[in-house]
Amino acid sequence: MPAILEVQDLRVSYTAGREVLKGINFTVDADDFLAIIGPSGSGKSTLIRCVNRLVEPSGGQILFEGRDLLKLGESKMRAERRNIGMIFQEFNLIERLSVIDNVLTGRLGYTGTWRSLFRAFSKDDIRNAVRLLDRVGLIEHLDKRADQLSGGQRQRVGIARALIQNPKMLLVDEPTSSLDPKIAREVMTLIREIAREFNVPVLCNIHDVDLALEFCSRVIGLQEGTKRFDGPPSEIDKHVLADIYSMEVL
Amino acid sequence: MAALADLSRYDRHVERIAVWRNRSRRMRYATYFIITVLIAWSIEAIVVGDTDWSRISWASMLKSASQFMSVDLSIVGSLMEPALETALMATLGTLVGLVLAVPVAWLGAMNISPLGRATYTLGRGLMTLSRSVHEVVWALIFVAAVGLGALAGVLAMGIRSIGFISKTVAEAIEDVNPGPVEAMRAVGASRFQILLFGIVPQVVPVFIGNVIFEWDVNIRRSTIMGLVGAGGLGLALHRQMAAYNYGGIATVLLVILLLIVAGEIISYYARRAVI
Ligand SMILES: Nc1ncnc2c1ncn2[C@@H]1O[C@H](COP(=O)(O)OP(=O)(O)OP(=O)(O)O)[C@@H](O)[C@H]1O
Ligand SMILES: [Mg+2]
Repeated sequence: MPAILEVQDLRVSYTAGREVLKGINFTVDADDFLAIIGPSGSGKSTLIRCVNRLVEPSGGQILFEGRDLLKLGESKMRAERRNIGMIFQEFNLIERLSVIDNVLTGRLGYTGTWRSLFRAFSKDDIRNAVRLLDRVGLIEHLDKRADQLSGGQRQRVGIARALIQNPKMLLVDEPTSSLDPKIAREVMTLIREIAREFNVPVLCNIHDVDLALEFCSRVIGLQEGTKRFDGPPSEIDKHVLADIYSMEVL
Repeated sequence: MAALADLSRYDRHVERIAVWRNRSRRMRYATYFIITVLIAWSIEAIVVGDTDWSRISWASMLKSASQFMSVDLSIVGSLMEPALETALMATLGTLVGLVLAVPVAWLGAMNISPLGRATYTLGRGLMTLSRSVHEVVWALIFVAAVGLGALAGVLAMGIRSIGFISKTVAEAIEDVNPGPVEAMRAVGASRFQILLFGIVPQVVPVFIGNVIFEWDVNIRRSTIMGLVGAGGLGLALHRQMAAYNYGGIATVLLVILLLIVAGEIISYYARRAVI
């Protein structure tokens, strides 16, 4: 399997002189469901957000299908973002828009200025949005305003919005931290299913180690901006966890 | 006694905070005193000294009150057209204001201002200019520019309305939840699309609410526009005053009151319908 994403020596500092990521290397293969675990503040969100350059790295390379994203200008980067779907902890829906319109915003990268001004999305896009909402189990809620949905339902809208991009990779930042445990498992299950159905690799932050081990095919452990572990869930034992979380082994 | 010993470690802070409180209390009393003196002095200077007390008596007050009591209903018919003109002037003025407020809010919101500091300062400057010049002064300016009549009033209120609407909207833009903005960046939206989907839906309620509020205020403003020749009921008021027709003045004032009350009622329901 060729790597979809190859990250080399990635460095980030928000404030001069203090690196939050200190030279990270890893790859994401086409069939990966890769989890990033690590203590709070270790740089998991920063890492994910560098991939689509919501955060601007200070050094390194991000090769997406072989193209170095850090070398792209604004409009080329915008075009690349269309290939990378993102799912957020706080869902980040547009509260006052309907569910279907929220999903359709996933097509903005392919929609001209005038059409977006009047929300005149193409018929194909609308058909696709309806199909995806059916897939995530929300076809009955199509016309509701997003702020009328429950947390789990909102995250499903977020998932449909990412899928309608036809992404070649999914970035997922703590998809379940705003949800209760039962809904959290449902959402993780859904993400795993759609990853297979749509054939997209997933790069996913989770701080819940059990969820990570259960759902992911590979795990990266971060601690204070350095990678401490990279391997399959089966290799994770209490020593590895103790190292990532710098705890005493009990 | 470990606990006690521990507590004494905080003495330094306790002292400092307590002393500071005392000092600030003294400051407060001094401030009250200075304000009282200032108020007393200004009453003496501009009211007591500046009023012709010999002209004011119970008799004079009763007399003018009774003059106003005799409402002159014969002019009511002739007030309908100016009343309508006043309401239309306020509405058009608000429309001008809301259209112009959009770009000014865009300039004056720090997080989206197109060229950063420079355009932000320009936007904020326009807001201040619009708000700090009185509507009657704006009306005088526009009467000079476009001549007597309602157009000058419309423009005056339009320009005067920009400030409040754009300021509140710019502040709402600065307080926007960054989540949706980030989501729109992530799907590959352009700057304009990010504005349109990430920000506009979040500030629309503030915008509409304040436009309605400003319309209500503009009804009030437009009733005096006529005093400087910019049309509407103010002109009728001016004529009655020039003729010393106290009954007529009272009638015009009543119509103005009715119009303002109608504006209040309409804006109350409009706000409820929209928000
Ligand atoms: N926008 C920012 N500006 C400055 N510092 C930031 C910013 N975002 C994150 N940081 C800092 O960077 C470090 C890593 O943050 P990050 O959010 O990536 O951690 P995380 O592993 O996702 O943590 P969590 O599990 O709590 O979400 C933290 O020390 C944080 O304070
Ligand atoms: Mg995080």
